[in-house]
Amino acid sequence: MSETGSKRKGSLRELYNIFFSKTWPMWVGGILLGVGNICLFIVLKPWGASGGVKNWGDNLFNLMGGEFSNMGAINLFPYSVLCILLLMGAFAGALFSKQFALRFPPIGELFKGLFGGLLMGLGAVIGVSCTIGGFFSGWPALSLGAVVFTGGLVIGTWLAVKYLLFEVSKFPKLSSGKTTSILSAGKGSWQPILGAVVVLIGLIVAFRYTSTSSVLAWFAAIGLYLGLICQRSRFCIVRALREPFMSGSSAPALAVMAGILVSMFGFVVIKFMGIRGDMIWVWPHFWVPAIVGGTIFGFGMTIAGGCTVGSIWRAGEGHIKLWASIVGMIVAMPFTAKYIKPAFFDALPDSMKQMFFLPEKIGYGPAVGVFVLIMLLSYLFVKWNERTGKFSAY
Amino acid sequence: MQGDVILDCKGLSCPMPILKLAIAIKKLEVGKIIEMYGTDPGSKDDVPAWCEKTGHSLLEVVEVEDGFTFFIRCEK
Repeated sequence: MSETGSKRKGSLRELYNIFFSKTWPMWVGGILLGVGNICLFIVLKPWGASGGVKNWGDNLFNLMGGEFSNMGAINLFPYSVLCILLLMGAFAGALFSKQFALRFPPIGELFKGLFGGLLMGLGAVIGVSCTIGGFFSGWPALSLGAVVFTGGLVIGTWLAVKYLLFEVSKFPKLSSGKTTSILSAGKGSWQPILGAVVVLIGLIVAFRYTSTSSVLAWFAAIGLYLGLICQRSRFCIVRALREPFMSGSSAPALAVMAGILVSMFGFVVIKFMGIRGDMIWVWPHFWVPAIVGGTIFGFGMTIAGGCTVGSIWRAGEGHIKLWASIVGMIVAMPFTAKYIKPAFFDALPDSMKQMFFLPEKIGYGPAVGVFVLIMLLSYLFVKWNERTGKFSAY
Repeated sequence: MQGDVILDCKGLSCPMPILKLAIAIKKLEVGKIIEMYGTDPGSKDDVPAWCEKTGHSLLEVVEVEDGFTFFIRCEK
């Protein structure tokens, strides 16, 4: 090969290594996901995850003869498409960085994944939110219910950390046993090649939607982007809420805050200018459904080791435990929506299941100020806790 | 290098490897070494960060075909 050709190859390898040889700082992921979230809102509505997985469940059980809600076929419901492409993006990210392998955990872990997924499905439907729709997008949408939902997530996470510490100390065999890991990259280069094929398929899917729906085309493309970012930065909201109670590390929480702040900037512009409706992503869950659903969801996601999006991108990386978590959500969501949520909501007075859009009460400027202040106090708390270890287990 | 205690975290995903490491190292005498196996890609960054935060020494990381082997010395 000529010297110029060799230099070009070296430059391309350097570029490749920048993106795929090391894990990105999580705050970089947070900011990039915040930008993606704004793009989704411009296209249609903000980022949400559990709605897409619920749609998978509704379609599956309707196919089996059930009568569950019908938001559209899997390939025609934007959030369903978003979740599938997010999975593909994470799969591609894992392949590019040679981190993909099918990792079968001990059987006890598999059950924890399933159980955590069932709880997440229950909590997401009861609380009308998950960590994305009710937290990562809910705060930027200036919904006060999102703050309450986050409070529930914190309580659930704290309880689950207590449980996990108890389990590992008293019942270590639950997370021990036979494990298998197959299809790991080894020294070969088949994974990056397959990664390129997966990205190409994702882009073709997005392109094919352009003839029928530009919304679906963009949701597909942005889904691919979100999945890739999540995997490369190991963006994890469970970690952000869990680490203050475990190692005390504040970095994951700061990464999530960075993403929320970026999204908030874009969302406020979009809503203030009337490009999209004020009440979008302001859910009727203030305050009882938010606190109850958030607590159940928070417990489930910590047991499973990933929230809805965390489960999806880790499933793309090959963690079978998180596949079990997705199965749990697919099963729980349609049944909770049909049999539990109506009775739960009927039992609540209207004052306990409100849509609470803060700017409606105090105006946009003060509302943004309140949200930023709560975030600043949270920042000071996690930094203080990191220094003192007051709330962390070790 | 060889560890005094083996901690097999293969097949486990976050947060279980770090949780098991934190519990296991509490039972260890100062100076003893844990030989920890893991397959979660997240462990590659999590274990060094945890050692730095808690003051235990990460002596070596060996990349194997399906994951990593970490050698961690208990320091307190």
